[in-house]
Amino acid sequence: MRPNLSSIYLTLLVALLCQLLPWSGAALTIRPDFVLLVLLYWLLRAPHLCNIGTAWFAGLVIDLATGGLFGQSALAYALTAFFALSYQRRLTLFNIWQQAAYVFALLVFNQVTLLILKMFAGGESPGWGYFYPCISGIMLWLAVIFTRLGIQGHTDQD
Amino acid sequence: MPRPLEPQHSPAFFVRGPSPFARLIFFAAVSLTLMATDSRLHYLVEVRQGFTALLHPLQVLANAPSDFIHDTNEYLTAHSTLLKQNSRLTEQALLQSAELQRFRALEQENEHLRNLLGAARNSQQNARLGEILHIGRDPFTHRVVINLGSRHEIAAGQAVIDADGVIGQVTRVYPFTSEVTLITDRELSVPIQVERNSLRAIAFGHGRDTMLDLPYLPANVDIRKGDRLVTSGIDGVYPMGLAVAEVIKVERNPNSPFAHIVCKPLAGIENHKQVLLLDMPKPEPVVIQKKNSAPAAAAAPAKKAPAVKKPTAPE
Repeated sequence: MRPNLSSIYLTLLVALLCQLLPWSGAALTIRPDFVLLVLLYWLLRAPHLCNIGTAWFAGLVIDLATGGLFGQSALAYALTAFFALSYQRRLTLFNIWQQAAYVFALLVFNQVTLLILKMFAGGESPGWGYFYPCISGIMLWLAVIFTRLGIQGHTDQD
Repeated sequence: MPRPLEPQHSPAFFVRGPSPFARLIFFAAVSLTLMATDSRLHYLVEVRQGFTALLHPLQVLANAPSDFIHDTNEYLTAHSTLLKQNSRLTEQALLQSAELQRFRALEQENEHLRNLLGAARNSQQNARLGEILHIGRDPFTHRVVINLGSRHEIAAGQAVIDADGVIGQVTRVYPFTSEVTLITDRELSVPIQVERNSLRAIAFGHGRDTMLDLPYLPANVDIRKGDRLVTSGIDGVYPMGLAVAEVIKVERNPNSPFAHIVCKPLAGIENHKQVLLLDMPKPEPVVIQKKNSAPAAAAAPAKKAPAVKKPTAPE
């Protein structure tokens, strides 16, 4: 997909819709963070169009949709986006597996940040099931990458 | 006199705007401010309501596929299933109408006796039928979203029940939807009494699983496995006598002064889609009950217990 603003916002909207689907039970605990995955994809692919501000706004929308504390996902997304951007130049030289490992680390980092923020707000430690979305998320990432949408493609970048 | 050299700024090779770190600092500051405002000052309620109304179409769109599947399934229900269900429901209605007749007589008698005593009359508590739209987005909070909101005159603090017992309480109201915190959430507490011996206590959500705790009861407390817990009605939110939970485990550890009592909620949150929202009780001053005020309300000694209030048939 060509990186332009409309495709970025369109994919973010679709990801938000996926997030808002009525998940329940086991599916809810393994639901990947669609919005964060799409954000990471665009952050690594087109940092001049999708930046920390985009991630922050997406997090704010997530906070509204989930009814969580206003700004907690926004902060977590902004932090994750910062770390994604700080290695973005080098990452385009990596191969698929190295990229996936880095994305996985970012997903875990996002969950940990959220967890810390929730603990500050008075939450309870949720157990290891809290990290299942990272695993399902990286699987989804690999699935997308292997369908030739890879971020290191110079051919379609103009 | 030679002028000192002015620092030379080399022009940026790539035009990337402010540095990522500057952006991060800015957005982190904004979100920390928002979080503090939201959690401590509660200024953002209206903002949140407005934006949730904007998100409502998206919500409807996201729910559309599952609603469609549900409707199709309903439409294609087999004839025999419908017949079976019909006969079962008719039987149930008969049984319940018999009970209702008895209940009416008892209610009149109760009112009469109350009149004789000069006690305060309790007005009827109306109820509305709502539908659970979805379970909360966050798997680690015990919340559900229902399809009634401030447009339908729902207010925060209303009790929510189903056919088997108490589900929870409305904690956040949006224009078209509202958020119900379940009794299993660790921030919600329900004043209860044991049906067998009218012992009063407060049940707290467990948070991690779908159980309730009865903390701070002495080790020799008269509670047994299998006891039914009903609402005591002294908090002004839940009417008296609604089923809440059943005791499934009582542990008396000699090392601890308190008994460890675990209860299982009776209401089937996972099973039903329809719930009843009880109106706030009228005669008492209306208390908008926030999450942590239930223990305070329940700790006050109950001078009079409100009589059983009848939820009228939903429209």
